[in-house]
Amino acid sequence: MTDNLARRVLEEPATEQAIEDLHGVLDQLWLDAAFVPALDQMAFTTAVIESASNVVQHGVPSPGATLHLGVELTVSAERLTAVISEIGAAPHDPVPDLDDLPEPSLPGEDALLEDYDESGRGLSMIRALVTTVTVERQGDTNVWVLSRDSVQD
Amino acid sequence: MEFSTQDKGRYTEVTPSGRLNMVAAPKLREVIDGVVSAGGRRIVVNLAETTFMDSSGLGALIGCLKLARQSGGDLRIAAVQPQVNMVLELTSMHRVLTPHATAEQAFPND
Repeated sequence: MTDNLARRVLEEPATEQAIEDLHGVLDQLWLDAAFVPALDQMAFTTAVIESASNVVQHGVPSPGATLHLGVELTVSAERLTAVISEIGAAPHDPVPDLDDLPEPSLPGEDALLEDYDESGRGLSMIRALVTTVTVERQGDTNVWVLSRDSVQD
Repeated sequence: MEFSTQDKGRYTEVTPSGRLNMVAAPKLREVIDGVVSAGGRRIVVNLAETTFMDSSGLGALIGCLKLARQSGGDLRIAAVQPQVNMVLELTSMHRVLTPHATAEQAFPND
């Protein structure tokens, strides 16, 4: 078991405010773990906010439940890990296949502006920003686990 | 996130300050829509004070660019900070939203 050098958590109703609060929690994490290279901080922060925003924007509560966002962020000497929980969520249907995402539609050099979509980049961005990403069902919760290998300079 | 808008003569400068995330993205669309409705054709989004952008923020910028072009104008971005640049390059969107070093350089004299 690798020792955690820094750890921060958040759990609150899955609203826009939770995203603003999560930015603050990430800022605190990097104060505690200033040794993590800036590029890793930037990439990990972006992936965590994308995942949490996905929960707030697309999470569906189970009947009678209130959807909560849970985030646990840990930093070890070699790895940044985020466990992002959609608590009280209906199961994903279908479960996102993160290993087989469609290629982001990237129009050719002579493409018209209209060919560029305004949405749909979140999952492929997450995939590109972290080393591993998994999503699974645990009880009444959909759990995303993101990890990015980060070796101190 | 806060927005300031300034008429610079040759162009209108919009400066979003803070994080351009899913909360701020709809506000950016409103601000740019207001500039275009008021007759603004050349718009520079000065990102010097935008410390973070996610896919929602990027989507809003693309939407704003389309709006500006549809009204016969253009929208350009300037003073991009490292995280925003990372997102632009990761998504290859720097091809349609090319960063300019400063707001003044976004629309050269012509």
